[in-house]
Amino acid sequence: MDIISQLQDQVNTIASTAFNTFGTLQRDAPPVRLSQNYPDPPPPPPTNPPEDASNFSEQPKIMSAALVKAAKQFDALVAALPIAEGGEEAQLKRIAELQAENDAVGQELQRQLEAAEKELKQVQELFSQATDNCLNLKKPD
Amino acid sequence: MSTATYPPPPPYYRLYKDYLQDPDSAPEPPPPIEGTYVCFGGNYTTDDVLPSLEEQGVRQLYPKGPNVDFKKELKSLNRELQLHLLELADVLVERPSQYARRVEEISLIFKNLHHLLNSLRPHQARATIIHILELQIQRRKQAVEDIKRRREEAQRLLQEAIGTLEGQ
Repeated sequence: MDIISQLQDQVNTIASTAFNTFGTLQRDAPPVRLSQNYPDPPPPPPTNPPEDASNFSEQPKIMSAALVKAAKQFDALVAALPIAEGGEEAQLKRIAELQAENDAVGQELQRQLEAAEKELKQVQELFSQATDNCLNLKKPD
Repeated sequence: MSTATYPPPPPYYRLYKDYLQDPDSAPEPPPPIEGTYVCFGGNYTTDDVLPSLEEQGVRQLYPKGPNVDFKKELKSLNRELQLHLLELADVLVERPSQYARRVEEISLIFKNLHHLLNSLRPHQARATIIHILELQIQRRKQAVEDIKRRREEAQRLLQEAIGTLEGQ
């Protein structure tokens, strides 16, 4: 895939990682203590799997690491952009130069081709004459 | 524009009744359209150009001007994006009701990023043309060399043949 499409893909990945991060954290966050007068509710009976709490405290770290990694990859792709300095005019000038050179080489090629075809015709002509002579000189057995 | 549930086909087929006998009796095909046209009730244009951000009502964050330094602007937009995401996380912790402004700023940065990347496409197209022209020049030069070589070899063989024949 070309690099601009990769960059566009990376931007979309950063966006989706960001909203997944915020959405998941906001959905799964434990409730906040408002004041000392309202103590925490009693803990629920231990039917929930105990991995829930440990998963939750790891999740911000994992997801923010993914976000930073995506951003770093974007920076690496930007650094790999093959943009030559000079902008549009320099590119158009180079295209005009290359077209002129292409025309010149094309004409040279055409000349060589015509000369080669002429020589081919001559050789074919000579060859057919030689074979005719051979056939005429050969005595029938 | 009138609409009907099951409209009949257009009646233009009658104009082509004598086409087999006289091809000129039928009307010419319509010329290609230029500019804007209406198709199934929608407006389309034949002039494909990337509309600038102001035309879409979006504020442009990177400096305008003839030559934009794409790499620098892309990197600084990336950094801005990360800072805004951190700000959003802070706002959600302290003042959760004020998230809307931050989310709007983040989407503004994303729109700017995509617009910058889209405006790189013409540059990419010209670079592709340059690459193709260079390849073509290289192939043509190679072909010229090949033809020269073969002609010289043919001349050499003919000279050898002449030598052999005269030697006999």
